[in-house]
Amino acid sequence: MSLVNFTTREITCKIVYYGPGRSGKTTNLHYVYGRVPDARRGRMVSLATQTDRTLFFDFLPIDLGQISGFATRFQLYTVPGQVYYNATRRLVLQGADGVVFVADSQARQLDENLESLQNLQSNLLEHGVDVRAMPLALQYNKQDLPRELILSQADLDDALNFRGVPSFAADALHGVGVFETLKGISELVLKRLAAGSTA
Amino acid sequence: MTTRAVEAWTLQPLVKFTKEAEARLVLLMTSAGQVMAQHGFSRAVEVMSAAALGAAIIASTAEMAKELKQPPFAALSHQGERHGIFLAGFGTPRGMLVALVVYDIEVSSVGLVQLFFEQFVADLQAACPKEGVPKQVLAADFERELSDSLKTLFGR
Repeated sequence: MSLVNFTTREITCKIVYYGPGRSGKTTNLHYVYGRVPDARRGRMVSLATQTDRTLFFDFLPIDLGQISGFATRFQLYTVPGQVYYNATRRLVLQGADGVVFVADSQARQLDENLESLQNLQSNLLEHGVDVRAMPLALQYNKQDLPRELILSQADLDDALNFRGVPSFAADALHGVGVFETLKGISELVLKRLAAGSTA
Repeated sequence: MTTRAVEAWTLQPLVKFTKEAEARLVLLMTSAGQVMAQHGFSRAVEVMSAAALGAAIIASTAEMAKELKQPPFAALSHQGERHGIFLAGFGTPRGMLVALVVYDIEVSSVGLVQLFFEQFVADLQAACPKEGVPKQVLAADFERELSDSLKTLFGR
């Protein structure tokens, strides 16, 4: 849940990048880290295996500056995508203000995307949160791959975007769609905050 | 050394504990890793990293305790060459909070930290307001400011 300090006028929100293994969640954070000026970001913390696969989470705090007179900071987290790391995924989701679901656009990964989306719903429910009440944005990553290997944004919307939430085509490795996705989820999270309802 | 509190009621117990335990850094956070108060950190984004790690350790060891079919571990302590850390979760009327204490081993000790920690928890529990947090309101045009901020961040 977001933390708001009316005395010092500060807002801190937690955004979790979720999705199947190797869909590009950590790549999104690496790109953000590389583009944000030093003064506006903290150290990127990665709890990873020796082969650089996310073991617990990646974490990147960024300072958005003043929004409506509040110093606004976002904590960006990723979860490990592999099926057997569900316990840690559930822990990282605790207290999330918004979720970016990073799907792998490859046609052969569709089942993994669906399974991960169902897993998100189930893990949120364990925290007493209905997925329909959680600010959510979908990112269809790897859209730079050859057309015969991937599904289009429209096809992926049909398959995954049951709620009609904002969705973004992306090539996170080269930064395409990364900024748009972060902006999309930030707007949803802050709109919810402005409406005064919290998870 | 700076001491800052997101929620004012945490400040006095934190200042008292820091002095008594002779702690170098103290961080008070929610179980989701949101910072509530801190002593000794200079940058907000650095304190957030420490909070994320502290909350993660408490969350993962609580799961380990569940596997062992026992209540969560009361506290964790590690001692390094120059610094030691003490990490513990505890209940308050605002829900579970986590405290991370870093001390210089030449100045303080895990014993000293533990000695005053119980009183710190009691002080926080006594100071914690029972009523909920007021609803927050952002200005209607925050989307434009958000867009400008993100553009600046990404250099676009």
